Amino acid sequence: MARSLLLIARQAPWSGLAAREALDIVLAGGAFDLPMAMLFLDDGVFQLAAAQQPAAVQQKDLTANLQALQLFGVEELYAAGRSLRERGLAEDALGLPVRLLDDAELTALLDRFDEVITL
Amino acid sequence: MSELHVDGRTVPVDEEGFLVELSDWSEAVACVLAEREGLVLEAEHWEVLHLLRRFYAEFQLSPATRPLIRYTAQQLGPDKGNSLHLNRLFKGTPAKLAAKLAGLPKPSNCL
Amino acid sequence: MATLHVLSHSPFADSRLDSCLVLMSVRDGLLLSGDAVYALQPGSAPHAALRTRPAGARLYALEEDVRARALSAGDDVELIDYPRFVELAGEFDRVNSWL
Repeated sequence: MARSLLLIARQAPWSGLAAREALDIVLAGGAFDLPMAMLFLDDGVFQLAAAQQPAAVQQKDLTANLQALQLFGVEELYAAGRSLRERGLAEDALGLPVRLLDDAELTALLDRFDEVITL
Repeated sequence: MSELHVDGRTVPVDEEGFLVELSDWSEAVACVLAEREGLVLEAEHWEVLHLLRRFYAEFQLSPATRPLIRYTAQQLGPDKGNSLHLNRLFKGTPAKLAAKLAGLPKPSNCL
Repeated sequence: MATLHVLSHSPFADSRLDSCLVLMSVRDGLLLSGDAVYALQPGSAPHAALRTRPAGARLYALEEDVRARALSAGDDVELIDYPRFVELAGEFDRVNSWL
């Protein structure tokens, strides 16, 4: 039985490698058909903002890659409602369909997975 | 690094035969790439190659095998989006070989 | 089903500690290592925040990191060494390192 994995992405997309590395982990897991989910937390929710233009800072378009997650078998995508509110991000400003979780749901989410990786 | 000669143009490819410049791709280039793999491209191949190019344009990455199968099933139906059909068309390594012939980068999670 | 959360960054530099406290359940544990042990600094905001963890959630700190920084730990903190860390990793269902 494959072990399930929750990837918590909590870094903004265009500075540093963390956001890219988090995505690479789930893409690799998808190749192995692992049951996976991804949670966007803290600055990680900035990865979800629509209409970003990473070419302006010579970066590859991570947000386009994120759109492929479901094809890679990452069926469950979540974001922390608290993180969105703290950053003034509205749900309809997001470029990726995610389910918003409140604090109690966040706690319960971790318990459903065999492994958790926070980047 | 080596190169292809297509219609009088020189097209660089890497040591595994993937295009160095993705913008060099054309159907003529695909035919030459296929020939190097001992493959003659037919309608069923072209359908998948064009599908892959759409995948890349949308998601900016080359799919691994499972996402390729899922996407093909979604776009062309389950008769074509299955590993049997894709393996038969692309010599058992559809993600890698079809990406190469479609002018995409090598799938990074192709193990 | 419980998680051992491992923090190693200074709580004064970012939001890892705060977010970790939000995610923790009563059965979880929190291990402070490296600069995360600065959360034990009395009178600081992170120190106060640690007390907001769910009642029952255990708190651990790597003793060598605490000593190196001339900090001390209250009665509610179990000071541990690396062998105990390994033991804990086995006791919890999963380990979540906040990288």
